[in-house]
Amino acid sequence: MFVRNRQALFFTFFMPFIIMGVFGLVGVDKPPVISLGLAVSEPNEQTQKLIEAIGQNPSFEVSIGTRESELDILEKGERALVAIVPDELLGTSGQKQMKLYLNQNQPQLSQTGLAILQQYLNEINFQIAGVEKAIMLQVEEVDANNLSYIDFLIPGVVGIAIMQLGVFSVAFYFVDLKQKGVLKRLLATPMKPYQFVTANVITRLMVAFGQTIILIGVGILAFDFAVNGSYALLALVVLLGGVMFLSLGFMISGVSKTTESVPAIANLVVFPMLFLGNTFFPVSTMPEWLQHIVRFMPLTYFTNSLRAITNDGASFSQVSTDIYWMAGWSAVLLTLAILSFRFEERREE
Amino acid sequence: MKSIIEVKNLVKKYGKFTAVDGVSFDVYEGETFGILGPNGAGKTTTLEIIEGLRKPTSGTAIIDGVDVAKDPGEVKARIGVQLQSSSFFDNLNLRELLDTFGSLYNRKVDPDKLIAQVQLKEKENNLVKELSGGQKQRFSIASALVNDPRVVFLDEPTTGLDPQARHNLWELVRQVKAEGKTIVLTTHYMEEAEVLCDRIAVMDHGKIVALDTTENLLKSVGNTTRISFEAGNSEKLPDLKQVQNVQTVETIRGRVVLVTDDVEKTLPSLFKLEHESNFGIHNLQVQQPTLEDVFLKLTGHSLRD
Repeated sequence: MFVRNRQALFFTFFMPFIIMGVFGLVGVDKPPVISLGLAVSEPNEQTQKLIEAIGQNPSFEVSIGTRESELDILEKGERALVAIVPDELLGTSGQKQMKLYLNQNQPQLSQTGLAILQQYLNEINFQIAGVEKAIMLQVEEVDANNLSYIDFLIPGVVGIAIMQLGVFSVAFYFVDLKQKGVLKRLLATPMKPYQFVTANVITRLMVAFGQTIILIGVGILAFDFAVNGSYALLALVVLLGGVMFLSLGFMISGVSKTTESVPAIANLVVFPMLFLGNTFFPVSTMPEWLQHIVRFMPLTYFTNSLRAITNDGASFSQVSTDIYWMAGWSAVLLTLAILSFRFEERREE
Repeated sequence: MKSIIEVKNLVKKYGKFTAVDGVSFDVYEGETFGILGPNGAGKTTTLEIIEGLRKPTSGTAIIDGVDVAKDPGEVKARIGVQLQSSSFFDNLNLRELLDTFGSLYNRKVDPDKLIAQVQLKEKENNLVKELSGGQKQRFSIASALVNDPRVVFLDEPTTGLDPQARHNLWELVRQVKAEGKTIVLTTHYMEEAEVLCDRIAVMDHGKIVALDTTENLLKSVGNTTRISFEAGNSEKLPDLKQVQNVQTVETIRGRVVLVTDDVEKTLPSLFKLEHESNFGIHNLQVQQPTLEDVFLKLTGHSLRD
């Protein structure tokens, strides 16, 4: 039945991919390129060499123009900095000036650009002076665990997908069944209410596992994602997260009287978590007062533990705090769900 | 006759409001039993208590030897239920729904037979939302038959249907009865109760105000018939009291209305008098008493108030 509900399918399977695709392909994790304008009045061999040397630096996107045109573009905000290259670089007569214009509105980029340019000029100065460098930096790049933004994002998307599944597929579905009288018709058969609820919970948990497998599978195949921790622990966390958000879904359907009130209540609960629950941005980047709230949200524990297991290969003891909090939330939400959920519509006569 | 349902002193209160106020009746095996009353009389609540869907405030209901308060599951297994607003899963077609309902009774059903019985063969692969009102009600009855129940409950099965669909449904109810099943139905249509029911309980304000066979209920308003007509030359009208067996004479909105206790004697006498005085008889109507009259007599108000 679930499979035939096209809307439910869209939200459970395609929506996470859209999120993943948009954020994954936009490439939030790549460092921004510094737009550098070089103003050259009379190009010659020396200036050409300098331009080539600077152009090889991957941090720069170099454009060459006249002083006037480059400054004009800088003012429009399309350059981080503009350097006026002197015609004669290695002349004999005294100190040469290279004038730099920095874009105040891109302080990070222009300051970085300034530092890099400084390096080039130092090199040139040393060459002219014929000074032997006393200390050389020997650089070796160590890519820590190969973590990129997509590695951060995928566990977040899995968390969001399971939260949406739990809340929306249950809350809408059950309020709808109740409102249309389907639940009542089912109660007129020998089936017990708990059997129906259990059957639905099992279906949703199977879908939750399906979602996790597909999302992580696509992550591994298309985005170089890796599960560094144990799959069993991952399954446990997904199960716990599924139970937690299904309970939330039942609670929402318990307090919603009509299908119209479901989205209002559900979005009120889901939306803050969707953005703040350690999904798209790390909690540590948020203002401190917000962090205190965000840390206690159910989704935060879920995405935290998912991320720790997949990215850092965390063991049970390393994510046990998250797991206990999730178990606690599940118990609270389940109790509220049992208290608020009724199979019949309340009759007020 | 053997009782299959025994209801004793059912009371259902919602706060201060008493929806069902001490209802008792028996339903005999194989009969069609009607509960007749206006909206809000407590018909549906009574039915839902018997079906095990609501708990009574007090009183007992025993169906096929099982007390519904003690073992609702067993009662539900033996009965078939059509609810007032029947609704099913959105994404399953008729065959699948019948299979699903069968599985709720731990039964393998034969969807073909049920679908043929309610004449929905050409719709068997459609969704419920694609059915017309009458088809939906027929399917709803099919779903009530999946467990081959001893008793079938129909809650206002024809409300909102057009006359043609209503007649189709009556035919179906008669077929189900012919299979030997006991049928309990509620209705606020007099005609429906008269056509389908062997016995009728008339309900008003949570109480049963009369319970008898349909014939006896009709007789209870007295063997009176109303004869009414328009007089062509009303100035020539003689005193109609002299017509045989006439009890009262009235003129209501231009129509002359006679009430008689023997229509076979009154009519020839009336025609003879017309022949003599030539007052003219147009648009003659003869009305037998209906359950509407029964209801009016019992409760002092009409059904559609």
